[in-house]
Amino acid sequence: MEKDRIKQAYLDYVLRKNAPPASVFKLTQKLGLPEAEFYRHYASFDAIDREIWADFGREARERATAEPVWEQYSAREKLLGFYFTLLEILKHNRSYALGSLRRSLHRMPGLTPRVLDDFRQGFEAFVGDLLREARRTEEVASRPVVQEQYPRAFWQQALFVLGYFAKDDSLNFERTDAAVEKAVRLSFDLVGPNTLDSALDLARFLFQSRR
Amino acid sequence: MPDEPQGGPAPEPTPEATSPLVSLPTTKVARAARFAKTGLKVGANYVKHYARRSVGAESSSADLHAANAAELYGALSEMKGSVLKVAQMLAMEKNLLPPAYAEQFAQAQYQTPPLSGPLVVKAFRDAFGKSPFELFDEFEPQARQAASIGQVHRARRNGLPLAVKVQYPGVADSIRSDIRMVKPVALRVLGLDEAQVRPYLEEVETRLLEETDYALELRRGQEIAARCRHMPHLQFPHYHAELSAARILTMDWLPGLHLKEFLATAPSQAVRNQLGQALWDFYTYQIHTLRQVHADPHPGNFLLQATDGGTVGVLDFGCVKEIPAAFQQRFLALLVPGILDDEARLEKLLTELEVLRSADAPAQRNLYLRTIKASLALVAQPFWQATFDFGDAAYLQQLYALGDELMQDPELRRQREPRGSRHFIYLNRTYVGLYALLTELGAQVDTGIPGPQAAQA
Repeated sequence: MEKDRIKQAYLDYVLRKNAPPASVFKLTQKLGLPEAEFYRHYASFDAIDREIWADFGREARERATAEPVWEQYSAREKLLGFYFTLLEILKHNRSYALGSLRRSLHRMPGLTPRVLDDFRQGFEAFVGDLLREARRTEEVASRPVVQEQYPRAFWQQALFVLGYFAKDDSLNFERTDAAVEKAVRLSFDLVGPNTLDSALDLARFLFQSRR
Repeated sequence: MPDEPQGGPAPEPTPEATSPLVSLPTTKVARAARFAKTGLKVGANYVKHYARRSVGAESSSADLHAANAAELYGALSEMKGSVLKVAQMLAMEKNLLPPAYAEQFAQAQYQTPPLSGPLVVKAFRDAFGKSPFELFDEFEPQARQAASIGQVHRARRNGLPLAVKVQYPGVADSIRSDIRMVKPVALRVLGLDEAQVRPYLEEVETRLLEETDYALELRRGQEIAARCRHMPHLQFPHYHAELSAARILTMDWLPGLHLKEFLATAPSQAVRNQLGQALWDFYTYQIHTLRQVHADPHPGNFLLQATDGGTVGVLDFGCVKEIPAAFQQRFLALLVPGILDDEARLEKLLTELEVLRSADAPAQRNLYLRTIKASLALVAQPFWQATFDFGDAAYLQQLYALGDELMQDPELRRQREPRGSRHFIYLNRTYVGLYALLTELGAQVDTGIPGPQAAQA
C-alpha cells in the first residue's frame, strides 16, 4: 500500500526531473510519511529502480505466456514473444525506460548495470526453463557443461536488445523489432543441433580411439 | 552478355556499398558484406568458366548463368524488402535478362523466410492493441504466401475468409540504402552501365516507397476497383479499412489459382481467351481512361478461375503508376498503326519523349531511330491487328531475341547517356508483364484498340 505510493511518487519524480530526488527525506516529506516508512520497504532509491525493472520483466513474462498461441510456440518463438511483449511494455513507459537505460548503459558493454540485477534473475530463470523444455523437444542440442552457461549468454543477448532499444531512433522502434528477430534466430541457430555438435562428435571419437 | 563481361571477368565487391553516411552501420555493413560475397562468387564462376574454356572443355553459357543467378538469388532473397523488389522487377524485364537469371529471380516471389509468429502478433498489437487472435475469429499463424515486403495470412471473421498482409518492420526505412547497395552489383553482374540507369532509379525508389504505404494501397485498390466495376470477368477484393493499418492490410480472400496451378488444371481455350481478354481490357482501360495503372502484372498478383467462363481476381495495388496526360498521349501515338511509315511524325514524338535530342549527331540519331523502329515493329504488333494470338510462342521468342540483340549491340552499348522519359519504366514493365501473362495463357485476344477519342477521356 504505502510501498506502491512510494514507488509511484518516486517514478513521477524521476519522470519529471529525469533524476532521482536529492534525498529519501525529501520524497517522504512530500508524501507526508516518516522517513522510516521508506526504509521499511526499500534500502535505497536504487532498490526501487531494480524493482521497477523486475516488474517489467515479470509483466512481460505473464502477458506473453497468456497469449492463446503460447503453447503452440517453439522455444525460439516463445523467447521472441517475451522480447516483443517486453518492448511493448517499455514503449508504454518509454520515458522512464529510455532514461534509466541511457543513464546506466553507457559504461562497458557486456557489464550488467546494477538496476537490471533483479530483472536479470527473473530472465535467466525464464530462459533456463525455456531451454530445458527445448532440449526435451530437441530444438536445442544437449551439450553438457557448455549448456550451463546458456542463460548467461542469453542475458548478453537481452542486454544487446535493451541497448539497441535505447539507441534506436527509427519510427515506433521498428529497427529494434528486426534486431530482436535476427538476434534470436542466430542464438537458436547456435544452440540448436548444428555443425558444432558434429565437430565435437568427431573430436570425441578421435580422442577415444587414441586409447 | 556474360560471355563478354565488361571490365574483366571478376566483378569486385562494391566499395560504394560501405559509404560512411548512414546511421546504422552494423546492418548496412552486414548487408554490404553479403553483397560483396556474392560479387566474389559471381567472379569465381566467371573464372571457372574461362578456365574451362581455355583448356577446351565445354562449359555452356547456360551453366554459368544458372550458377550466377543462384548466387545472386540467394543473396537477394536473404535480404528482405526493396532488394527483393528490384530483383523481381528485373525478373519481369525478361527481355533484359538471360532466361536463367529471370527464372531464379522469379522464384524470389515465392520463397522467402517468414516473419516469426510473435512478430506478427506484435505488429497487430502495435496497430490495434489486440492480438490477431482477438481481432479475427480465426487467424492462421503460418503465412500462406510470402510477398516481397511482407507476408499473407489467412483469417476469418464473421464467416468471411480474409487475406491479411503483414509488412516486415523497418522496410521503408531501409529502401534507400538497399537500392544504393544493389545498384553497383546488379549493374556489374548484369553488364549494364550505371549512367543508363541512374536517372530512373529515382522513379523506382518512389514506387518502392509507395509500395510500403499500405494506406495508399488501400485507397488506390478501392478506387481502381470502383472505377473498373463495370468491366466483365474481373474481380477485386474488398478492402477492410477498419482492420488495416500502416503495416497491415486486410482484404477479402479471393478464390482462384495462380497462373501455373491454374494451367495445370488444363482449362479450355475458350476459358483462356476470356481470361486473356479480361486482362487486356483491364489494362487498356487503365492506360487509356484512368491514366493510372496496376504496374505489377506478375503471375502472383492474379487469381484465375473458370467460373463464368473465366474470371480474373486482381490483387495487390501496391505498385500503381500514375501516367501524366502529355506522356500518355505521346505514348499511345507511338502505338498507332502506320507510325513506322510516317518518319517525320515518329521523330517528333521520339523527341518529345526524350529519346531523341536535337543535339544528336546524325549517326547517333539514326542508331536510335533504327532501334526504336525495330522494337516498335515487334512490340506494337498486337495493336495493329483486330485480334492477336498470344499463344504464338514464336512471338515472345522474337521479343526476347530482340532484347538480347539490343543488349549485344556494341554501338548501342557504347551509348552512355540515358534516354527516354522516366515514365517509360513502369509502363514498359506493365506491358512486358502483361504480354508474358497472355503468352503463358496462350490467349487469343481482341486487341481492337478504342480509337484516339477514347484516349481523350
